[in-house]
Amino acid sequence: MYTFRKLLFSRRIFITLLIALFVGGVMAYATTQEMDTLAGGTDMLDNIVLSFFMPVMAMIYGSSLVRDEIDDRSITQVVASPMDRMVTYAGYYLGLAASVCAAILLVLTTGFLVFFGALGFGAGSGHVYGSMVALVVIGSFAYSALFILVSVLISHPVYFGLLYAFIWEGYIGSIPGNIRLLAVKHYVRSLGAHWIDVGAISRYNASTPGDAATVLAVLTVGLLVVGALVFRRKEFP
Amino acid sequence: MTGAIVAAKALSKWYGEVIGLNSFDLELHEGITGFVGPNGSGKSTFFKLVSGLIRPSVGQIRVLGEDPWANQPLMARLGFCPDYDNLSDEQTFRSFLAFVGGLHGMRGPTMGSRIEEVARIVGMGEHIDRRIGGYSKGMRQRTKIAGAMLHEPELLLLDEPLSGTDPLGRREIIALVQSLHAEHGHNVIVSSHVLHEIERLTPQVAVLYKGRAIATGNIQEIRGLIDKHPHNILVESDRLDELAKRLVGLPCVVSMQFSPDRTGLTVQVTRPEEFFAAMPGLVEAVGCRVRRMLSLDDDLESVFRYLVG
Repeated sequence: MYTFRKLLFSRRIFITLLIALFVGGVMAYATTQEMDTLAGGTDMLDNIVLSFFMPVMAMIYGSSLVRDEIDDRSITQVVASPMDRMVTYAGYYLGLAASVCAAILLVLTTGFLVFFGALGFGAGSGHVYGSMVALVVIGSFAYSALFILVSVLISHPVYFGLLYAFIWEGYIGSIPGNIRLLAVKHYVRSLGAHWIDVGAISRYNASTPGDAATVLAVLTVGLLVVGALVFRRKEFP
Repeated sequence: MTGAIVAAKALSKWYGEVIGLNSFDLELHEGITGFVGPNGSGKSTFFKLVSGLIRPSVGQIRVLGEDPWANQPLMARLGFCPDYDNLSDEQTFRSFLAFVGGLHGMRGPTMGSRIEEVARIVGMGEHIDRRIGGYSKGMRQRTKIAGAMLHEPELLLLDEPLSGTDPLGRREIIALVQSLHAEHGHNVIVSSHVLHEIERLTPQVAVLYKGRAIATGNIQEIRGLIDKHPHNILVESDRLDELAKRLVGLPCVVSMQFSPDRTGLTVQVTRPEEFFAAMPGLVEAVGCRVRRMLSLDDDLESVFRYLVG
Protein backbone atom coordinates (compact mmCIF):
# COMPACT_ATOMS: atom_id res chain seq x y z
CA MET A 1 0.00 0.00 0.00
CA TYR A 2 2.89 2.33 0.88
CA THR A 3 4.60 1.60 -2.45
CA PHE A 4 1.33 2.11 -4.30
CA ARG A 5 0.74 5.50 -2.68
CA LYS A 6 4.36 6.52 -3.08
CA LEU A 7 4.40 5.67 -6.78
CA LEU A 8 1.00 6.93 -7.72
CA PHE A 9 0.98 10.15 -5.72
CA SER A 10 4.39 11.43 -6.72
CA ARG A 11 5.84 13.42 -9.60
CA ARG A 12 5.16 10.39 -11.78
CA ILE A 13 1.46 11.20 -11.62
CA PHE A 14 2.18 14.31 -13.70
CA ILE A 15 3.91 12.17 -16.33
CA THR A 16 0.90 9.86 -16.32
CA LEU A 17 -1.50 12.79 -16.69
CA LEU A 18 0.58 14.20 -19.55
CA ILE A 19 0.56 10.84 -21.30
CA ALA A 20 -3.21 10.58 -20.78
CA LEU A 21 -3.64 14.07 -22.22
CA PHE A 22 -1.42 13.19 -25.17
CA VAL A 23 -3.35 9.98 -25.87
CA GLY A 24 -6.62 11.89 -25.49
CA GLY A 25 -5.37 14.43 -28.03
CA VAL A 26 -4.28 11.77 -30.50
CA MET A 27 -7.59 9.95 -30.16
CA ALA A 28 -9.47 13.23 -30.62
CA TYR A 29 -7.53 13.86 -33.82
CA ALA A 30 -8.32 10.30 -34.96
CA THR A 31 -12.05 11.02 -34.65
CA THR A 32 -11.66 13.56 -37.46
CA GLN A 33 -10.33 10.91 -39.86
CA GLU A 34 -12.43 8.58 -41.95
CA MET A 35 -12.30 5.04 -40.61
CA ASP A 36 -14.42 2.20 -39.34
CA THR A 37 -15.20 3.37 -35.82
CA LEU A 38 -14.85 0.10 -33.92
CA ALA A 39 -11.88 -1.31 -35.86
CA GLY A 40 -10.15 2.06 -36.07
CA GLY A 41 -10.58 2.80 -32.36
CA THR A 42 -9.39 -0.68 -31.44
CA ASP A 43 -6.27 -0.31 -33.62
CA MET A 44 -5.49 3.07 -32.11
CA LEU A 45 -5.74 1.77 -28.53
CA ASP A 46 -3.76 -1.34 -29.50
CA ASN A 47 -0.92 0.66 -31.07
CA ILE A 48 -0.75 3.55 -28.64
CA VAL A 49 -1.61 1.98 -25.30
CA LEU A 50 -0.90 -1.75 -25.47
CA SER A 51 2.12 -1.75 -27.75
CA PHE A 52 3.78 1.52 -26.84
CA PHE A 53 2.79 3.17 -23.58
CA MET A 54 2.30 -0.01 -21.54
CA PRO A 55 6.01 -1.03 -21.62
CA VAL A 56 7.12 2.61 -21.46
CA MET A 57 5.02 3.40 -18.39
CA ALA A 58 5.98 0.15 -16.68
CA MET A 59 9.58 1.19 -17.32
CA ILE A 60 9.00 4.70 -15.90
CA TYR A 61 7.45 3.33 -12.72
CA GLY A 62 9.34 0.08 -12.33
CA SER A 63 12.92 0.87 -13.19
CA SER A 64 13.16 3.53 -10.50
CA LEU A 65 11.14 2.07 -7.63
CA VAL A 66 13.68 0.05 -5.63
CA ARG A 67 16.64 1.86 -7.19
CA ASP A 68 15.39 5.24 -5.95
CA GLU A 69 15.11 3.85 -2.43
CA ILE A 70 18.58 2.31 -2.68
CA ASP A 71 20.01 5.60 -3.96
CA ASP A 72 18.36 7.84 -1.35
CA ARG A 73 18.94 5.09 1.26
CA SER A 74 15.37 5.15 2.48
CA ILE A 75 15.48 1.39 1.91
CA THR A 76 17.58 1.05 5.09
CA GLN A 77 14.52 0.91 7.35
CA VAL A 78 12.98 -1.76 5.14
CA VAL A 79 15.97 -4.09 4.87
CA ALA A 80 16.94 -3.59 8.53
CA SER A 81 13.51 -4.78 9.65
CA PRO A 82 12.64 -8.36 10.63
CA MET A 83 10.43 -8.79 7.58
CA ASP A 84 11.71 -11.51 5.25
CA ARG A 85 13.28 -9.77 2.30
CA MET A 86 11.49 -12.03 -0.18
CA VAL A 87 8.17 -10.90 1.33
CA THR A 88 9.38 -7.30 1.15
CA TYR A 89 10.22 -7.77 -2.52
CA ALA A 90 6.79 -9.25 -3.19
CA GLY A 91 5.27 -6.21 -1.47
CA TYR A 92 7.24 -3.86 -3.68
CA TYR A 93 6.17 -5.86 -6.72
CA LEU A 94 2.47 -5.84 -5.89
CA GLY A 95 2.56 -2.10 -5.20
CA LEU A 96 4.39 -1.49 -8.45
CA ALA A 97 2.09 -3.71 -10.54
CA ALA A 98 -1.00 -2.05 -9.04
CA SER A 99 0.45 1.43 -9.72
CA VAL A 100 1.45 0.59 -13.29
CA CYS A 101 -1.96 -0.97 -13.86
CA ALA A 102 -3.81 2.07 -12.48
CA ALA A 103 -1.69 4.49 -14.52
CA ILE A 104 -2.12 2.61 -17.80
CA LEU A 105 -5.83 2.12 -17.19
CA LEU A 106 -6.14 5.88 -16.77
CA VAL A 107 -4.47 6.37 -20.16
CA LEU A 108 -6.51 3.61 -21.79
CA THR A 109 -9.78 4.91 -20.39
CA THR A 110 -9.00 8.48 -21.47
CA GLY A 111 -8.29 7.34 -25.02
CA PHE A 112 -11.36 5.12 -25.10
CA LEU A 113 -13.73 7.78 -23.75
CA VAL A 114 -12.41 10.50 -26.06
CA PHE A 115 -12.65 8.36 -29.21
CA PHE A 116 -15.83 6.41 -28.65
CA GLY A 117 -17.43 9.25 -26.72
CA ALA A 118 -17.10 11.42 -29.82
CA LEU A 119 -18.07 8.82 -32.40
CA GLY A 120 -20.58 6.83 -30.34
CA PHE A 121 -19.97 3.81 -28.17
CA GLY A 122 -22.07 1.49 -30.31
CA ALA A 123 -22.12 -2.29 -30.10
CA GLY A 124 -18.80 -3.97 -29.44
CA SER A 125 -16.87 -1.03 -27.96
CA GLY A 126 -17.62 -2.16 -24.41
CA HIS A 127 -16.25 -5.62 -25.19
CA VAL A 128 -13.10 -4.11 -26.73
CA TYR A 129 -12.60 -1.91 -23.66
CA GLY A 130 -13.13 -4.82 -21.24
CA SER A 131 -10.66 -6.98 -23.16
CA MET A 132 -8.10 -4.19 -23.25
CA VAL A 133 -8.48 -3.71 -19.48
CA ALA A 134 -7.75 -7.42 -18.96
CA LEU A 135 -4.70 -7.20 -21.26
CA VAL A 136 -3.44 -4.12 -19.41
CA VAL A 137 -3.75 -5.93 -16.06
CA ILE A 138 -1.87 -8.98 -17.38
CA GLY A 139 0.76 -6.88 -19.15
CA SER A 140 1.28 -4.66 -16.09
CA PHE A 141 2.06 -7.64 -13.89
CA ALA A 142 4.47 -9.11 -16.47
CA TYR A 143 6.32 -5.86 -17.22
CA SER A 144 6.48 -4.95 -13.53
CA ALA A 145 8.18 -8.26 -12.73
CA LEU A 146 10.80 -7.45 -15.37
CA PHE A 147 11.45 -3.83 -14.48
CA ILE A 148 11.57 -4.31 -10.70
CA LEU A 149 14.24 -6.98 -11.22
CA VAL A 150 16.17 -4.58 -13.44
CA SER A 151 15.97 -1.87 -10.78
CA VAL A 152 17.47 -4.23 -8.19
CA LEU A 153 20.21 -5.51 -10.50
CA ILE A 154 21.38 -2.39 -12.32
CA SER A 155 22.65 0.93 -10.97
CA HIS A 156 21.12 2.98 -13.78
CA PRO A 157 18.01 0.97 -14.69
CA VAL A 158 16.41 3.80 -16.67
CA TYR A 159 18.95 3.42 -19.49
CA PHE A 160 18.27 -0.30 -19.73
CA GLY A 161 14.54 0.39 -19.44
CA LEU A 162 14.62 2.91 -22.27
CA LEU A 163 16.53 0.51 -24.51
CA TYR A 164 14.21 -2.33 -23.64
CA ALA A 165 10.94 -0.42 -23.95
CA PHE A 166 11.80 1.38 -27.18
CA ILE A 167 14.23 -0.93 -28.99
CA TRP A 168 13.30 -4.39 -27.78
CA GLU A 169 9.55 -4.16 -27.29
CA GLY A 170 9.01 -1.42 -29.85
CA TYR A 171 11.26 -2.70 -32.61
CA ILE A 172 12.17 -6.36 -32.08
CA GLY A 173 8.64 -7.14 -30.93
CA SER A 174 7.28 -5.80 -34.20
CA ILE A 175 9.58 -7.71 -36.58
CA PRO A 176 7.76 -10.53 -38.36
CA GLY A 177 9.01 -14.04 -37.63
CA ASN A 178 9.95 -15.93 -34.51
CA ILE A 179 12.14 -13.19 -33.09
CA ARG A 180 9.04 -11.41 -31.83
CA LEU A 181 8.52 -14.37 -29.51
CA LEU A 182 11.20 -12.73 -27.36
CA ALA A 183 9.03 -9.72 -26.56
CA VAL A 184 6.38 -9.59 -23.81
CA LYS A 185 4.17 -7.58 -26.14
CA HIS A 186 3.86 -10.58 -28.45
CA TYR A 187 2.19 -12.74 -25.79
CA VAL A 188 -0.10 -9.97 -24.56
CA ARG A 189 -1.31 -9.32 -28.09
CA SER A 190 -1.63 -13.08 -28.76
CA LEU A 191 -4.04 -13.27 -25.83
CA GLY A 192 -5.85 -10.22 -27.17
CA ALA A 193 -6.27 -11.89 -30.56
CA HIS A 194 -8.54 -14.46 -28.98
CA TRP A 195 -10.58 -11.97 -26.97
CA ILE A 196 -11.04 -9.16 -29.50
CA ASP A 197 -12.61 -9.83 -32.87
CA VAL A 198 -12.01 -6.51 -34.63
CA GLY A 199 -8.97 -4.63 -35.81
CA ALA A 200 -5.40 -5.79 -36.43
CA ILE A 201 -5.07 -7.42 -33.00
CA SER A 202 -7.80 -9.92 -33.92
CA ARG A 203 -5.59 -11.21 -36.76
CA TYR A 204 -2.50 -11.51 -34.55
CA ASN A 205 -2.29 -15.24 -34.08
CA ALA A 206 1.39 -16.19 -33.70
CA SER A 207 0.81 -18.03 -30.41
CA THR A 208 -2.16 -19.94 -29.06
CA PRO A 209 -3.88 -18.36 -26.03
CA GLY A 210 -2.77 -21.31 -23.92
CA ASP A 211 0.87 -20.88 -24.93
CA ALA A 212 0.70 -17.11 -24.46
CA ALA A 213 -0.86 -17.41 -21.00
CA THR A 214 1.66 -20.07 -19.98
CA VAL A 215 4.64 -18.04 -21.18
CA LEU A 216 3.38 -14.90 -19.46
CA ALA A 217 2.72 -16.76 -16.21
CA VAL A 218 6.09 -18.55 -16.22
CA LEU A 219 7.92 -15.35 -17.18
CA THR A 220 6.20 -13.30 -14.46
CA VAL A 221 6.67 -15.86 -11.70
CA GLY A 222 10.21 -16.68 -12.86
CA LEU A 223 11.29 -13.04 -12.88
CA LEU A 224 9.64 -12.52 -9.51
CA VAL A 225 11.42 -15.47 -7.90
CA VAL A 226 14.80 -14.50 -9.36
CA GLY A 227 14.29 -10.91 -8.23
CA ALA A 228 13.30 -11.97 -4.70
CA LEU A 229 16.37 -14.21 -4.40
CA VAL A 230 18.67 -11.44 -5.66
CA PHE A 231 17.07 -8.95 -3.25
CA ARG A 232 17.45 -11.35 -0.33
CA ARG A 233 21.21 -11.63 -0.86
CA LYS A 234 21.80 -8.03 -1.86
CA GLU A 235 24.14 -5.85 0.18
CA PHE A 236 23.17 -2.26 0.99
CA PRO A 237 26.43 -0.44 1.73
CA MET B 1 33.19 -14.76 22.04
CA THR B 2 30.78 -15.67 24.84
CA GLY B 3 28.94 -13.07 26.90
CA ALA B 4 29.55 -10.30 24.41
CA ILE B 5 26.64 -8.53 22.74
CA VAL B 6 28.84 -7.99 19.68
CA ALA B 7 31.95 -9.97 18.90
CA ALA B 8 34.10 -9.68 15.80
CA LYS B 9 37.00 -11.93 14.97
CA ALA B 10 39.45 -11.28 12.14
CA LEU B 11 36.63 -9.35 10.50
CA SER B 12 37.44 -7.69 7.18
CA LYS B 13 35.30 -5.91 4.65
CA TRP B 14 36.47 -4.68 1.28
CA TYR B 15 34.55 -2.55 -1.20
CA GLY B 16 36.38 -3.55 -4.35
CA GLU B 17 39.92 -2.39 -3.66
CA VAL B 18 38.92 -0.10 -0.80
CA ILE B 19 39.28 -1.53 2.70
CA GLY B 20 36.38 -0.80 5.06
CA LEU B 21 37.52 -2.97 7.95
CA ASN B 22 40.83 -4.77 8.19
CA SER B 23 41.27 -7.87 10.36
CA PHE B 24 39.09 -6.33 13.03
CA ASP B 25 38.91 -7.94 16.47
CA LEU B 26 36.52 -6.65 19.08
CA GLU B 27 34.21 -7.68 21.90
CA LEU B 28 31.52 -5.33 23.18
CA HIS B 29 29.56 -5.90 26.36
CA GLU B 30 26.33 -4.50 27.78
CA GLY B 31 25.91 -0.77 28.37
CA ILE B 32 26.87 2.17 26.17
CA THR B 33 29.94 1.75 24.00
CA GLY B 34 31.38 4.66 22.07
CA PHE B 35 33.02 4.18 18.70
CA VAL B 36 35.38 6.96 17.89
CA GLY B 37 37.49 7.43 14.80
CA PRO B 38 38.06 9.83 11.93
CA ASN B 39 36.04 9.69 8.73
CA GLY B 40 36.90 6.55 6.80
CA SER B 41 38.07 4.67 9.88
CA GLY B 42 35.44 1.94 9.41
CA LYS B 43 32.77 2.99 11.93
CA SER B 44 29.88 2.94 9.47
CA THR B 45 31.13 -0.27 7.87
CA PHE B 46 31.08 -1.90 11.29
CA PHE B 47 27.52 -0.67 11.96
CA LYS B 48 26.35 -2.01 8.60
CA LEU B 49 27.96 -5.38 9.32
CA VAL B 50 26.27 -5.51 12.73
CA SER B 51 22.88 -4.65 11.23
CA GLY B 52 23.23 -7.18 8.41
CA LEU B 53 23.16 -4.62 5.60
CA ILE B 54 26.45 -5.94 4.26
CA ARG B 55 28.27 -9.22 4.72
CA PRO B 56 31.87 -9.75 5.83
CA SER B 57 34.49 -10.40 3.18
CA VAL B 58 36.52 -12.44 5.68
CA GLY B 59 36.15 -13.32 9.35
CA GLN B 60 33.10 -13.53 11.51
CA ILE B 61 30.80 -11.34 13.51
CA ARG B 62 28.22 -12.35 16.11
CA VAL B 63 25.53 -10.02 17.32
CA LEU B 64 23.53 -11.08 20.39
CA GLY B 65 24.97 -14.52 19.74
CA GLU B 66 23.88 -14.76 16.10
CA ASP B 67 25.29 -14.13 12.64
CA PRO B 68 23.55 -10.96 11.41
CA TRP B 69 23.92 -11.55 7.67
CA ALA B 70 20.62 -12.57 6.01
CA ASN B 71 19.18 -13.01 9.50
CA GLN B 72 15.99 -10.97 9.38
CA PRO B 73 14.53 -12.32 12.68
CA LEU B 74 17.60 -10.87 14.47
CA MET B 75 16.62 -7.42 13.19
CA ALA B 76 13.70 -7.42 15.63
CA ARG B 77 16.31 -7.25 18.41
CA LEU B 78 18.33 -4.46 16.80
CA GLY B 79 17.58 -0.82 16.11
CA PHE B 80 19.76 0.93 13.55
CA CYS B 81 20.03 4.71 13.20
CA PRO B 82 22.29 5.34 10.18
CA ASP B 83 24.71 8.25 9.82
CA TYR B 84 22.94 9.49 6.69
CA ASP B 85 19.63 11.33 6.58
CA ASN B 86 17.16 9.11 4.77
CA LEU B 87 13.99 10.75 6.05
CA SER B 88 11.30 11.91 3.66
CA ASP B 89 10.50 15.61 4.00
CA GLU B 90 6.86 14.87 3.18
CA GLN B 91 6.30 12.58 6.15
CA THR B 92 5.57 13.58 9.73
CA PHE B 93 7.20 12.09 12.81
CA ARG B 94 4.05 10.05 13.38
CA SER B 95 3.71 8.74 9.83
CA PHE B 96 7.42 7.87 9.65
CA LEU B 97 7.20 5.90 12.88
CA ALA B 98 3.96 4.26 11.76
CA PHE B 99 5.79 3.11 8.62
CA VAL B 100 8.72 1.76 10.66
CA GLY B 101 6.33 0.16 13.16
CA GLY B 102 4.50 -1.56 10.32
CA LEU B 103 7.78 -3.07 9.15
CA HIS B 104 8.22 -4.47 12.66
CA GLY B 105 4.75 -5.96 12.71
CA MET B 106 3.26 -3.32 14.99
CA ARG B 107 -0.37 -2.40 14.41
CA GLY B 108 -3.31 -0.40 15.70
CA PRO B 109 -3.65 1.29 19.11
CA THR B 110 -0.60 -0.49 20.54
CA MET B 111 1.58 1.08 17.87
CA GLY B 112 -0.18 4.44 18.25
CA SER B 113 0.49 4.62 21.98
CA ARG B 114 4.08 3.43 21.51
CA ILE B 115 4.67 6.20 18.95
CA GLU B 116 3.37 8.76 21.44
CA GLU B 117 5.60 7.30 24.14
CA VAL B 118 8.70 7.33 21.92
CA ALA B 119 7.92 10.90 20.83
CA ARG B 120 7.96 11.91 24.50
CA ILE B 121 11.18 10.02 25.18
CA VAL B 122 13.06 11.71 22.32
CA GLY B 123 11.50 15.09 23.07
CA MET B 124 9.42 15.31 19.90
CA GLY B 125 5.97 15.24 21.50
CA GLU B 126 5.11 18.75 20.34
CA HIS B 127 6.24 18.13 16.78
CA ILE B 128 4.70 14.72 16.23
CA ASP B 129 2.37 15.86 13.43
CA ARG B 130 4.67 18.40 11.80
CA ARG B 131 6.26 17.70 8.43
CA ILE B 132 9.83 16.43 8.74
CA GLY B 133 10.82 18.89 6.02
CA GLY B 134 10.50 21.69 8.59
CA TYR B 135 12.64 19.99 11.24
CA SER B 136 16.06 21.17 12.39
CA LYS B 137 19.03 18.82 12.05
CA GLY B 138 18.76 17.89 15.73
CA MET B 139 15.05 17.06 15.37
CA ARG B 140 15.79 14.91 12.33
CA GLN B 141 18.44 13.05 14.32
CA ARG B 142 15.97 12.47 17.14
CA THR B 143 13.39 11.25 14.64
CA LYS B 144 15.90 8.74 13.30
CA ILE B 145 16.73 7.61 16.84
CA ALA B 146 13.00 7.25 17.52
CA GLY B 147 12.67 5.04 14.43
CA ALA B 148 15.50 2.85 15.70
CA MET B 149 14.08 2.42 19.22
CA LEU B 150 10.36 2.16 18.40
CA HIS B 151 10.23 -1.63 18.58
CA GLU B 152 12.18 -1.72 21.86
CA PRO B 153 15.31 -3.45 20.57
CA GLU B 154 17.90 -4.97 22.86
CA LEU B 155 20.71 -3.23 21.01
CA LEU B 156 20.63 0.26 19.54
CA LEU B 157 23.16 1.21 16.87
CA LEU B 158 23.51 4.97 16.57
CA ASP B 159 25.92 5.99 13.83
CA GLU B 160 27.06 9.61 14.26
CA PRO B 161 23.84 10.80 15.96
CA LEU B 162 25.52 14.09 16.92
CA SER B 163 26.68 14.92 13.42
CA GLY B 164 25.58 18.33 12.18
CA THR B 165 23.75 19.29 15.36
CA ASP B 166 24.28 22.59 17.22
CA PRO B 167 25.73 22.57 20.77
CA LEU B 168 22.29 22.59 22.39
CA GLY B 169 21.03 19.78 20.17
CA ARG B 170 24.20 17.85 20.89
CA ARG B 171 23.69 18.17 24.63
CA GLU B 172 20.09 16.99 24.32
CA ILE B 173 21.00 13.98 22.22
CA ILE B 174 23.81 13.02 24.61
CA ALA B 175 21.32 13.15 27.50
CA LEU B 176 18.84 11.14 25.42
CA VAL B 177 21.36 8.40 24.60
CA GLN B 178 22.35 8.14 28.26
CA SER B 179 18.70 7.84 29.28
CA LEU B 180 18.08 5.17 26.64
CA HIS B 181 20.43 2.93 28.58
CA ALA B 182 19.87 4.13 32.14
CA GLU B 183 16.06 4.42 32.05
CA HIS B 184 14.97 2.24 29.16
CA GLY B 185 17.53 -0.54 29.36
CA HIS B 186 18.81 -0.43 25.79
CA ASN B 187 22.38 -1.44 25.08
CA VAL B 188 23.81 1.24 22.81
CA ILE B 189 26.70 1.43 20.42
CA VAL B 190 27.21 5.02 19.39
CA SER B 191 29.81 6.51 17.09
CA SER B 192 31.37 9.91 16.62
CA HIS B 193 34.52 11.33 15.13
CA VAL B 194 34.85 13.70 18.09
CA LEU B 195 36.43 12.14 21.15
CA HIS B 196 35.11 14.74 23.59
CA GLU B 197 31.53 13.95 22.58
CA ILE B 198 31.97 10.24 23.13
CA GLU B 199 33.68 10.94 26.40
CA ARG B 200 30.56 12.72 27.63
CA LEU B 201 28.43 9.75 26.62
CA THR B 202 30.30 6.80 28.04
CA PRO B 203 33.59 5.77 29.56
CA GLN B 204 33.62 2.61 27.45
CA VAL B 205 35.11 3.28 24.02
CA ALA B 206 36.64 1.64 20.99
CA VAL B 207 39.02 3.74 18.94
CA LEU B 208 39.05 2.96 15.22
CA TYR B 209 41.64 3.99 12.70
CA LYS B 210 42.01 2.86 9.12
CA GLY B 211 39.71 -0.13 9.59
CA ARG B 212 41.25 -1.41 12.80
CA ALA B 213 40.32 -1.17 16.46
CA ILE B 214 43.53 0.41 17.77
CA ALA B 215 42.37 0.81 21.36
CA THR B 216 39.40 -0.46 23.35
CA GLY B 217 38.43 -0.11 26.98
CA ASN B 218 38.00 2.63 29.50
CA ILE B 219 38.44 6.09 28.09
CA GLN B 220 40.63 7.19 30.98
CA GLU B 221 43.24 4.64 30.00
CA ILE B 222 43.05 5.67 26.37
CA ARG B 223 43.10 9.33 27.25
CA GLY B 224 46.19 8.68 29.34
CA LEU B 225 47.89 7.56 26.15
CA ILE B 226 46.52 10.47 24.16
CA ASP B 227 47.36 13.10 26.79
CA LYS B 228 51.05 12.36 26.46
CA HIS B 229 50.69 13.90 23.03
CA PRO B 230 50.03 17.67 23.05
CA HIS B 231 46.85 18.92 21.38
CA ASN B 232 46.69 22.02 19.24
CA ILE B 233 43.86 24.44 19.96
CA LEU B 234 43.24 27.56 17.90
CA VAL B 235 41.83 30.63 19.64
CA GLU B 236 40.71 33.67 17.65
CA SER B 237 39.89 36.69 19.75
CA ASP B 238 40.64 40.32 20.47
CA ARG B 239 43.10 41.18 23.25
CA LEU B 240 45.07 38.03 22.45
CA ASP B 241 48.31 39.30 24.07
CA GLU B 242 46.60 39.64 27.41
CA LEU B 243 44.85 36.29 27.05
CA ALA B 244 48.18 34.64 26.18
CA LYS B 245 49.75 36.00 29.37
CA ARG B 246 47.01 34.35 31.41
CA LEU B 247 47.22 31.10 29.46
CA VAL B 248 50.92 30.74 30.26
CA GLY B 249 49.89 30.18 33.85
CA LEU B 250 47.87 27.06 33.06
CA PRO B 251 49.81 23.87 33.87
CA CYS B 252 48.34 22.09 30.83
CA VAL B 253 49.69 24.65 28.33
CA VAL B 254 52.93 23.53 26.70
CA SER B 255 53.49 26.30 24.16
CA MET B 256 51.75 29.04 22.20
CA GLN B 257 52.20 30.53 18.75
CA PHE B 258 50.58 33.65 17.29
CA SER B 259 49.39 33.66 13.70
CA PRO B 260 51.34 36.07 11.41
CA ASP B 261 48.51 38.65 11.54
CA ARG B 262 48.19 38.15 15.34
CA THR B 263 44.43 37.48 15.13
CA GLY B 264 44.82 33.84 16.15
CA LEU B 265 46.73 31.93 18.78
CA THR B 266 47.58 28.25 18.52
CA VAL B 267 47.94 26.77 21.99
CA GLN B 268 49.57 23.39 22.59
CA VAL B 269 48.02 21.69 25.60
CA THR B 270 48.49 18.32 27.25
CA ARG B 271 44.99 18.01 28.75
CA PRO B 272 42.39 19.68 26.54
CA GLU B 273 39.52 19.21 28.99
CA GLU B 274 41.48 21.18 31.62
CA PHE B 275 42.14 23.92 29.07
CA PHE B 276 38.49 24.11 27.99
CA ALA B 277 37.34 24.19 31.62
CA ALA B 278 39.65 27.11 32.42
CA MET B 279 38.88 29.19 29.33
CA PRO B 280 35.53 30.75 30.35
CA GLY B 281 37.10 32.15 33.54
CA LEU B 282 40.12 33.51 31.66
CA VAL B 283 37.96 35.10 28.97
CA GLU B 284 35.85 36.77 31.62
CA ALA B 285 38.91 37.98 33.52
CA VAL B 286 40.53 39.45 30.40
CA GLY B 287 37.24 40.76 29.04
CA CYS B 288 37.97 39.65 25.50
CA ARG B 289 35.50 38.44 22.89
CA VAL B 290 36.39 35.02 21.49
CA ARG B 291 35.36 34.74 17.85
CA ARG B 292 36.38 31.15 17.39
CA MET B 293 37.95 28.36 19.42
CA LEU B 294 38.52 24.91 18.07
CA SER B 295 40.68 21.91 18.62
CA LEU B 296 42.81 21.38 15.55
CA ASP B 297 43.03 17.75 16.61
CA ASP B 298 39.27 17.25 16.77
CA ASP B 299 39.36 15.36 13.53
CA LEU B 300 41.55 13.06 15.62
CA GLU B 301 43.84 12.32 12.71
CA SER B 302 46.88 13.54 14.64
CA VAL B 303 45.82 11.71 17.78
CA PHE B 304 45.26 8.50 15.89
CA ARG B 305 48.58 8.84 14.14
CA TYR B 306 50.08 9.19 17.57
CA LEU B 307 48.24 6.14 18.93
CA VAL B 308 49.34 3.94 16.05
CA GLY B 309 52.88 5.18 16.42
